Amino acid sequence: METNLKDLVAGVPSLRAVFVTAMPDCLLFDSYTAPDETWSADEAASYFGDLVRANRQGLKALKSWSSEMQVTIESSDVLLVLRELRGDFVVTLAFRRDVPLGMVRMYTKQLVERLDESLPRLEAKARPRGVRVREFLEKYAPDAHAALARVALRTGLQLELLRRPESLDEAQVERFETAVKDILGLDTLAL
Amino acid sequence: MPTNDGSLRNYALSHDLMSMAGAPAVYHCHHFNLFLDQTIDDALGNTDGRKLRFAAAREASHDFLRGLFARLRPTTPAEKIQLATETIAKMGHGRLSISADANGGTAVGEFLHYGYGWAQKYGHRVRCRTPQDAFAAGFAAAALEVTFDLPPSVEAAETQCVAMRAPQCQFSLTKGAPAPRQTSLLASDVLRFARPAFDGQDEQQIATIAKGLRDFTGQVGGDERGLVQAFGVFVTMHLACYYNRIAYGALGELEKRAPTSVPVLESLLRESGHVCVFNTFGGILLSPEWEGMVGRPKTPREVVVGALAIARALGFGHWTLEDFAPNERLVVRAPATYESVYFLARHGKAARPNEYFLQGAVLAIAQLAHRVKWNEKVELTQEFYDSLFHGVVPWKAEQSKATTLGHEYSEVVVTKVA
Repeated sequence: METNLKDLVAGVPSLRAVFVTAMPDCLLFDSYTAPDETWSADEAASYFGDLVRANRQGLKALKSWSSEMQVTIESSDVLLVLRELRGDFVVTLAFRRDVPLGMVRMYTKQLVERLDESLPRLEAKARPRGVRVREFLEKYAPDAHAALARVALRTGLQLELLRRPESLDEAQVERFETAVKDILGLDTLAL
Repeated sequence: MPTNDGSLRNYALSHDLMSMAGAPAVYHCHHFNLFLDQTIDDALGNTDGRKLRFAAAREASHDFLRGLFARLRPTTPAEKIQLATETIAKMGHGRLSISADANGGTAVGEFLHYGYGWAQKYGHRVRCRTPQDAFAAGFAAAALEVTFDLPPSVEAAETQCVAMRAPQCQFSLTKGAPAPRQTSLLASDVLRFARPAFDGQDEQQIATIAKGLRDFTGQVGGDERGLVQAFGVFVTMHLACYYNRIAYGALGELEKRAPTSVPVLESLLRESGHVCVFNTFGGILLSPEWEGMVGRPKTPREVVVGALAIARALGFGHWTLEDFAPNERLVVRAPATYESVYFLARHGKAARPNEYFLQGAVLAIAQLAHRVKWNEKVELTQEFYDSLFHGVVPWKAEQSKATTLGHEYSEVVVTKVA
């Protein structure tokens, strides 16, 4: 399911790209890139989702989080604004660097309102936990080529079974998740 | 005939097997070392994996240090400890300072190969929750035991590790109950299990390059950190019995605990061969030293020839080229490998072909020969590795002969998958 981003962003000057990341999986939901851009939307989407999630946790630790928060990044050639939308999505807007910040804030507000009306309500929890555990592993494991085999060794679960994580039962998912936590050195997985 | 190049390092030249102070030795990089250790912990769990790695390090270091002390004859305990730690730093394992007597003590590690290598390779991506320097721990324990003529009884616990973001690695050394003493396995012991040597195709060229590389590596030693940083990797001269003990030890244990998981462990042991060839062989082939000595490879055959010379110089064995048809087939034979002679000496005949490192390495040589554009700028990144070895690999490797099964030579046949 996709939004018609091209129409939604029409008329916003200096906009280089829009990435819509579905949360909590940090997977690309939709994107728009200006015709002369060569960015890889899939690759960027997961990082933006992670960034907002880390920011949210950090602000919560400081007791200053609000659902209206947004992250602004000013690099040498791009101005990025990341905004969480309803907990379902992270919207990332990339503007040309020379646009005044005030204008960027105004465009962002307009675009986020349009996207809020257009984007569907996601039910992320409906996706099997085993699938999300595997996606998390493959995204963060340092030796991605060997990650699933490592889990198979640690859990005793067959590789074929781990390749179809939607078929794992509850106890197997728990073993899967424990092994992934061990491999990544984490106490919990932010799924 | 063993040939001494003037140092403690020796090569049994006809078989290209190396020793250091009489202990079987090979060169391996931090990518391989970390991957193998990690695989052992995956197979046995962190606690048992670490126990096995510590025991293997202590045993192998015992043989090595006894040989070292017998050759250089230090007399006082202080001289012995100093010689042990200076030598291991020259071999690229980092700086270890041991402050202990016959009843135990402490040790501090700076730039230890495993912990420091882990932090460099993985530290920015993963949080480490367990100490990484089981080898240094085993070495420190053995240093105490050999220095004070103790039975294998010293335990070494790594209480801080740089991989866990500590400023340095620290160990406590305590005397425990004597462990059963494994029989020694020296180079002279394992060499008895090498089959008669033979030559293959392009022998003269392979031998010449291997000699040049041996001469080059003979000049290389640890820097002020006790690390050997070369060819884009951290290199160690390492004790072959350590690798073999942990690999075959983990396999034996897993066969008892979870036999259905054995094929997965075998596949990861093969993968360690991919990791080694990609990082170390690839790094050497791309190095200015190689360019000066041999020149950038231009054809798949030149890559294969170069790779076999590298394997020999690193002490892996007399790997020979039996057959090579570009894009079709690669056949490598060896009368002995560092895996086979150990296995035969320690375990006897095998139940199946079991030179896993050889199997993985030969497949990776085929992949490197055909899939790397050597005439362009090549960077040996993790992404490039994944693109070569993750997913569909267009080669299949089969070990068709094994000296551990009683054959006259070991042979790995790599064929193109349709």
